[in-house]
Amino acid sequence: MTQIDNAPQCGGFGDYGGRFVSELLMPALTELADAHREILFSEPFLAEFQAELAEWAGRPTPLTRVPHFSTEARLDVVLKREDLLHGGAHKTNNVVGQALLARRMGKTRLIAETGAGQHGVATAMAGARYGFETVIYMGARDAERQAVNVQRMELCGARVERVESGSATLKDAINEALRDWAESLGDTHYLLGTVCGPDPFPSLVRDLQAVIGCESRAQFAEMYGGRLPDAIAACVGGGSNAIGLFTGFLDQESVKIFGVEPAGGGTHTNRHGATLGKGTPGLLHGARTYVLQDDDGQIKHSHSVAAGLDYPGVGPQHASLRDSGRVQYVAVDDTASIEAFRSLSRTEGIVPAFETAHAIAFAAQAVERGWLPEGASLLINMSGRGDKDLDMYFRDHA
Amino acid sequence: MTLASLHSAFAARPHHFAAFLVLGDPTPDLSVELARAAVQNGATMLELGMPYSDPCADGPAIQAACDRSRAAGVSTPQAIDVLARISAALPDVPKNLLVYGNLVHAPGYRAFCERVVGAGASSLLVPDIPLEESGPLRAACRETGLGEVQLVGPGTDPERLREIDSAVDAFLYLAGLQGVTGAVQDDDAKFALLERVRDQVERPICLGFGLSTPEHVRRTFAAGGRIAVVGSQLARVIDAAWQGGAGDPAKIVDVFGEACRMLSAPAT
Ligand SMILES: Cc1ncc(COP(=O)(O)O)c(C=O)c1O
Repeated sequence: MTQIDNAPQCGGFGDYGGRFVSELLMPALTELADAHREILFSEPFLAEFQAELAEWAGRPTPLTRVPHFSTEARLDVVLKREDLLHGGAHKTNNVVGQALLARRMGKTRLIAETGAGQHGVATAMAGARYGFETVIYMGARDAERQAVNVQRMELCGARVERVESGSATLKDAINEALRDWAESLGDTHYLLGTVCGPDPFPSLVRDLQAVIGCESRAQFAEMYGGRLPDAIAACVGGGSNAIGLFTGFLDQESVKIFGVEPAGGGTHTNRHGATLGKGTPGLLHGARTYVLQDDDGQIKHSHSVAAGLDYPGVGPQHASLRDSGRVQYVAVDDTASIEAFRSLSRTEGIVPAFETAHAIAFAAQAVERGWLPEGASLLINMSGRGDKDLDMYFRDHA
Repeated sequence: MTLASLHSAFAARPHHFAAFLVLGDPTPDLSVELARAAVQNGATMLELGMPYSDPCADGPAIQAACDRSRAAGVSTPQAIDVLARISAALPDVPKNLLVYGNLVHAPGYRAFCERVVGAGASSLLVPDIPLEESGPLRAACRETGLGEVQLVGPGTDPERLREIDSAVDAFLYLAGLQGVTGAVQDDDAKFALLERVRDQVERPICLGFGLSTPEHVRRTFAAGGRIAVVGSQLARVIDAAWQGGAGDPAKIVDVFGEACRMLSAPAT
């Protein structure tokens, strides 16, 4: 069977993407794809979206040079500060956009999955601000390891449903959200938190996160006298903060692009989430993409110290960028990420989320592992802040 | 056994009660016995699900059935083996397989279809490969003689319904409600939907999702359905008997057979 045989018909990225969902969900996806096409790029919508990003979410976020960390890494590292966005992570960009879209579509209820809880928090905040009933699905294991975020969601008025099935993590939360949506699609928008899932989510979420790359490129040019960075990097769970950054630079061939996956306990073990590094093409959550699976197609459990990266799938555009070679996907493990968490905090006074710490760990290892030459300029997406991880850090890793 | 057996079953009788079972639930041996008991008690078709790690279109009862089967160590090759054993025991009963897309995709559509046709399947429903993405799978079904079944639902508009109707060659599987398997919703809406869809399509209609009583089965036929499939309810029967009477297979088979006998009464 050749790959061409598998090329999806709906919203594909080459051989990846598509709408591999039950017929019962097709009306919702058609409706959303229409809204994406007709509303998202219209003047009134864009004006409203941008105004909300500025007034409520705090855009634009700054670029920050990190000289002490840079010296240790033997690179010139600059951070795009999505950790300063309202809610504490890049997730708010996507949430504001989809919530405003859902409101125009006449929906009154939002559902979302969450891993690290950042997307759940952002959705709960938006639910409060824009007047939606909000339900968040979260793996029971994640709800435990990201307990502060559960409290934030509940404080903002969302109901948090703990999902016990499967691995009780992000994958299972998505399953449960899809089940809810099959029943509730009349009044409910499924506010998917990353560039995964069936078409149109991978392109919709990318379009809403593209602001990261767009701003960064202009800010970097301003800071560096019109230059582009030598390289850019972001951590990859589902891949939304990464695609958001990459979109601003994909057309610039001189810019090396790195996606950083979680190697967990090591990619030679069964305990990792390096889907692009170790997975194979399959169908998961509505898309054809790289998946961690056994030979029969049963989905494997992933592992990462970072709940937001602990997922056995990845956005289909990343699958395509991997195959084309435009983006190089590498993996760093739990230990290196915790070390990077500590190191950025000590050297710069910036506490990254465990997810983001993977991108920071990439920088720390880049020269040594031959990913980048000494002295290269590297723009990293600082996707979120680490407050949510303090309990776990001091309990298990300090 | 292929599509032809399905056509002769439709020719032989107007109404079919189909029992749904997850292959290998609760164990491979018991699964074969349960299929046999279903047919002895009036089922004239079987719907057989492949155990899957992430059954997104299914509610709690069938998720639990998948978990029981997987806990018993049933992999896809073993599930196909159970299918072959059921086919050997019940050669004339059409068997529609319910398989999530990734299990079909992993070995390649063609290879998968060949394997299950070899094990006696007559048709295949892949709930997460809808019309738009179904081209390659359809080709594989046609090449191997496996019948194609597609899902339609309350939100499938008339034009799309006609497209799906002319694309498939086995039957249409109508989800009587918007949701996942096993949900409980308004009965009248389900049968009104069936009557409406029946008038718009050529293919026989199988009604599923939320049927749990003999009355549901009776009303399915009265509204023009050719197959009434009961899944979650039977999965709950297995669950209760397995939890309660663990260690006594005969009892589980008895309880399950009795449930099928009641459910199939309207078909005879
Ligand atoms: C701070 C942060 N970074 C990254 C991610 C990973 O998601 P994505 O790959 O979609 O950016 C998450 C997800 O929860 C997150 O909270």
